[in-house]
Amino acid sequence: MKFAFALAASLLTTLAIQGQEFHLGAPVSDFQLVDLQGASHSFASLKGDTTVVAFIAVRCPVSNAYNQRMEALFKDYSSKGVKFLFVNANVNEPTQEVKEHAQQVGFTFPVYRDRGNVADLFNAQVTPETYVIDKQGVLRYHGAIDDSQNEARIRKHGLRAALDEVLAGKPVTVAETKAFGCSVKRARPHRATE
Amino acid sequence: MRLSSWLVALSLFAAQLVPLDQAGFERMVEVHRGKVVLVDFWATWCDPCREELPKLVSLQKKLAFELITVSADEPEQEGAANALLEREHVLEPRYIKRSDDDQAFIDAVDKKWSGALPALFLYDRKGVRIGSFIGESDPAEIESAIRKALR
Repeated sequence: MKFAFALAASLLTTLAIQGQEFHLGAPVSDFQLVDLQGASHSFASLKGDTTVVAFIAVRCPVSNAYNQRMEALFKDYSSKGVKFLFVNANVNEPTQEVKEHAQQVGFTFPVYRDRGNVADLFNAQVTPETYVIDKQGVLRYHGAIDDSQNEARIRKHGLRAALDEVLAGKPVTVAETKAFGCSVKRARPHRATE
Repeated sequence: MRLSSWLVALSLFAAQLVPLDQAGFERMVEVHRGKVVLVDFWATWCDPCREELPKLVSLQKKLAFELITVSADEPEQEGAANALLEREHVLEPRYIKRSDDDQAFIDAVDKKWSGALPALFLYDRKGVRIGSFIGESDPAEIESAIRKALR
């Protein structure tokens, strides 16, 4: 019996680790998001446009430090034909709270909920964390919006630089960046014990 | 204000966190060889980190491991970070990251780490990283990993 439990636990762990399906340089498959009114939307309906997927949070001060920068990104790049999917995948933040937060902050873009495994597919770990998918549906950038929570200290605009290169049809020079942020509060906690 | 209050205020002011960059992190792990070490990356802005701190402090009273805290706060929050560590009776060594390049710093700790907090890294007596706990973790799991390392 004990063995069966151990086996089940190890299988679950393996599944959790293997949950990531989207990789840099490879095409992403379709995924579903739910808007704050409860309607489902599929990524496939956006195919053909360069798309930014951004995992954000309500209660994460780092994510909140980027609210105005997200708004500016949305404004600057929507006009260039880029689509934005801002996703709240945190199970501890109810949809009502996400709605109120979006109103208070004054987001002019829609925020979506992850009701499935979208955070797992992208292996999103931290908020804010962003991804750029090109017109062919290939994942071209993964990482931070920029390299400093404090706007005065930004040295590298990771996401903007990647978007500019993708829109210009060029290879992305720095395709992966990292920054400190809050962990994504997913239904299945991430464990990385080596 | 009484003299004792002044002294407390003065000691809080004097106590600073030790700045740590990526090269410093590697040296720090090296220096602690011979001990089981739990490095806790935390920040004042991280609610689950703040909730975890007292649990780690009580674990340290129970088990013979070294708890090292590294604040990922921006320089502006150093005072608040220090005050919080005082309040929670967190012992030294207490560091704060000082890096022009957070990505290089995160990679220096663990290439697989996204930078998400809370983040705990467990090192054995040889200074080899044997485990990591990213995000909210079960204190029982942390305790059992430390006990295993101490065996």
